[in-house]
Amino acid sequence: MTKEELFTEIKTALVEFEVDLLKMKAQEALDQGIKAEEIISILSEGMDVVGEKYEAGEYFVTSLIIAGETMKETLEVLEPHLSGQGGAKRGKIVMATVAGDIHDIGKNIFTTLMGTASYEVIDLGVDVSAETIVAAVKEHSPHILGLSALLTTNLEQFPLIIEMLKKEGLRSKVKIVVGGAVMTDEFAKGAGVDAHAKSAVEGVNICKTWV
Amino acid sequence: MYEELMAVYEKKEGSPLVFQPRLRHWYDFNYNAGTLPERYHGMYLDEVYTDLGVPPREVWGPRRIGSELSGYFALDTVDGDDVEVWTRNLSGYMGESMDDYLITEIRTPVGSLRQVQRYTEHGTSLMNVEYYLKSLDDLKVFEYILAERSYGWNQNRYEWGKKRYGDAIPLRANLERSPIMWLIVGIMGFKKTVTMIWRHPEEMKQFIRVLETEHIKQIEAYRGKPVAELSFGDNMHQDLCPPPYFKEYVTPFYQRVMPRVHAHGMVASSHFDGTLKQLLPLVGETGLDGLECVTPLPQGDVTIQEIKEGMGDMFLRDGIPAVHMCPWTPVETLKSHVRELMETFYPRLILGISDLLPANGDVERIRLVKKMVEKFNAEL
Repeated sequence: MTKEELFTEIKTALVEFEVDLLKMKAQEALDQGIKAEEIISILSEGMDVVGEKYEAGEYFVTSLIIAGETMKETLEVLEPHLSGQGGAKRGKIVMATVAGDIHDIGKNIFTTLMGTASYEVIDLGVDVSAETIVAAVKEHSPHILGLSALLTTNLEQFPLIIEMLKKEGLRSKVKIVVGGAVMTDEFAKGAGVDAHAKSAVEGVNICKTWV
Repeated sequence: MYEELMAVYEKKEGSPLVFQPRLRHWYDFNYNAGTLPERYHGMYLDEVYTDLGVPPREVWGPRRIGSELSGYFALDTVDGDDVEVWTRNLSGYMGESMDDYLITEIRTPVGSLRQVQRYTEHGTSLMNVEYYLKSLDDLKVFEYILAERSYGWNQNRYEWGKKRYGDAIPLRANLERSPIMWLIVGIMGFKKTVTMIWRHPEEMKQFIRVLETEHIKQIEAYRGKPVAELSFGDNMHQDLCPPPYFKEYVTPFYQRVMPRVHAHGMVASSHFDGTLKQLLPLVGETGLDGLECVTPLPQGDVTIQEIKEGMGDMFLRDGIPAVHMCPWTPVETLKSHVRELMETFYPRLILGISDLLPANGDVERIRLVKKMVEKFNAEL
């Protein structure tokens, strides 16, 4: 089997969530002397296909979760073979569900997809105070700040965070993408964020236009 | 309001439209935060409903957080003699965050299950941080618990609820969520359910049928009792339950239980509160009589017309997106939405907020919508 054929099989196995086959093919590629980093880049291409199928309505959020699990298990095969330098990162994002809100399904899917799209993700978790978010932006200097909320009561956190970023002189240094069911374009615009993503995949695509 | 709500269930035309918003969450949050408007200081929730001139949603709610009023739950749940349920509250650290938690442990001769829930929004809501079911072994324990569990009608509680608000609304009784949503939202969690179905499809399919037997037991307990409507609190959302899941687990479930519901002289509805564009074309096949919530744009992903096309002759309860009740949404946006909703759905409509008045919602908008409904009814 040629390298190209093997890569096609790897990509297809990921897109079809054939985790056992995928792990076997990943091992086969390693045995052929292909670098783990190169295999990971093929897996990232496979995740892009999963994202496209989601956008097209062919795949669903459940598919993104299974794809993430498939990817995770395959990475366990590859990780011992990484050179230690890791792949080049496209950019850095600090991610959080804002204070008062502990919903994390959308946030977690988004962070998984961002990770597989070669972003360095610093996930602050849920119910994160504005102070902690601003401190993380200060400490990590990310290209992007991702914020999520599912409750109308927590929308008030968004303008608060932006105001604090301005006071710290950080607002112009970071792009802000927000998501969550109660978020509307109208509110996002009023809050002064850079983009409102209606889905995790759309969020990743927005980030890719930035960095 | 009693006759008007029954008219919706019975598909009668010409009856006045009812506006039935849920206020409990708004009330509890603002009461606990000390931010209730001055007009409502010292008032119980009942009195707020009376002041606004709207009927409550539930008198016979499930008696837990989120339940309207006191929740005169008309069913008693009895677990087996060898099943022990231990609960404790904890203030402190569970994992990374310091907060208030409710820990429930169920001990049985075949094993134990543990659930950890965190109080949120000033203690008015609970979110799972740990679910009961974490492995295949846990399914066996839960199956053991359910096999011994029984349900019985509680006439006293029914009478108490009837005395309090029974003239205003017919008895709407709650059931567990349909099996797949019971797993996803209630006892296993979303990610775990998805990966378990992926990894162990046969075991999960079998377990889902076990859960269904609980619904049958509950429906039978309501048989011959003064229950007008059964409510499945599904929290249906296409991101959690996409069309393939819906076709495999939801439609067949309702197709099996709805004939039983109708044979016992009741109607049934389900709570759909997420994005729904891909699910609405499928709801007609369930045999459900109505849907609750069905959040429209801009909060959900469907227009009022798309909701109507999907639901056909089913009744809709709610329909006003919660964000339209928030101060930053122009009042005219709310008004035009309500007008379109009434014109599109009446008489198959019980107007309400999808799915409740938010904690930071403007309660005066309830009064505004109430006036619109009165005007609409006057012109019938």
